[in-house]
Amino acid sequence: MNRHHGRAPRGSLRRTRTSVAHAAVALVLVAGTTAGCGVLPPLPDPVPAPSSLVPDEAATLLDGEPADATVDDTSLRPMAVRIRNVQCDGVSTGSGFALDARTLVTNRHVVESSRSLEIATYDGQDIEVEEILATDVADLALVRTTADLPAHPELADDDPEQGDDVTVVGYPEGGRLTLSRGTVLGTTDDPLYSNLGQVLLTDAEVEPGSSGSAALDDDAEVIGVVYAKADGGRSLLVPVSTLDSLLDDAGTFAPLDGCDGG
Amino acid sequence: MLGILLALALGAAAYLWLTTTRWQESSSEWESNARELGDEVASLTAELGATAADLETAKTQLDAAQTRIDELANEKAQLGDDQAVSDQYLDYQQRVSEAAGTVALSLDRCIDGQAQLIEYLRDADSYDPDELSRFASDVDDLCSSAKDANTRLQSALDG
Repeated sequence: MNRHHGRAPRGSLRRTRTSVAHAAVALVLVAGTTAGCGVLPPLPDPVPAPSSLVPDEAATLLDGEPADATVDDTSLRPMAVRIRNVQCDGVSTGSGFALDARTLVTNRHVVESSRSLEIATYDGQDIEVEEILATDVADLALVRTTADLPAHPELADDDPEQGDDVTVVGYPEGGRLTLSRGTVLGTTDDPLYSNLGQVLLTDAEVEPGSSGSAALDDDAEVIGVVYAKADGGRSLLVPVSTLDSLLDDAGTFAPLDGCDGG
Repeated sequence: MLGILLALALGAAAYLWLTTTRWQESSSEWESNARELGDEVASLTAELGATAADLETAKTQLDAAQTRIDELANEKAQLGDDQAVSDQYLDYQQRVSEAAGTVALSLDRCIDGQAQLIEYLRDADSYDPDELSRFASDVDDLCSSAKDANTRLQSALDG
């Protein structure tokens, strides 16, 4: 009696177990289907053509400069000119550089006492001189030409600082076109008293014949004009600020008489 | 109920089969693209290498040409300097020759004047003494000028 009361009928037990199994399968399928809708991978996007994967523009350097934007020696040479000053009692040579298409800058002492002035470009072409102008307040002169000069540099906005690099482009000893590199040592009073104000002192080597050479910074901009050689292999420059201020004053430069009064 | 669930399961299985197939195809296409681009990169790398070599050659040639241009420009400039000095020397020689000719002419006129004066003095009584004296003074001046010119010419030649 107790055993009968203690057990359920056999048929009832089997039905209960089947219902539980069906519920479990249903639960798993529903759960799997429901969960599967959330985790099933989507279909892949269309694969693009290989050509569309290549960028249109080339990469640039980190500082934004194009890879070929370097200043090399070749680009500095065309701005230089060689000056032959045929005087009444001798011949001398000097250097100069183009300020614009038909104007070049040099030293006054390079072009004074002249009977004829002969200009040659870096590649040996002769350029006719139209007019020679000079100033009394600095060792600077302008030469107007009748034909275009090959290239001209920009003037720097400011004078260089001590320690800045400098490159001098000219014709030392009247010889081959030469680039001489050095650094700016500072400013000093003009030992020759040929310039008003301070002048620049550098350790770039120059020689007689270098007078009038352009002194350039790392951006190939003019920072000064060589006018003398100092002791210890140093050189003296008229600073670009002096050149710039004199160029701004149209009356500063006046025609220069030759040795024969012409 | 079980039938619906079975249909859902079959649908999910079909979707998974389709997805797997599509991803396999996509993967294959990406791999194909990667290989194509890889080949292109290899080709471009080879071209870059060849171009870099060409560039290096061109730079070498440019340097050589620049050096030659410098040399030729310098040779021309030196010849021009020599020509200018020669022209000045020739000009100087020409001016010296002209000066020498002028001095010689002056000295000739001095000699002629002195010869004429001697001629006059041989027959002095036939001439007005004042005019004779003035002629002698003129000859002296002429000869003095000729001597001074000769002295200056000699100094210039010595200098």
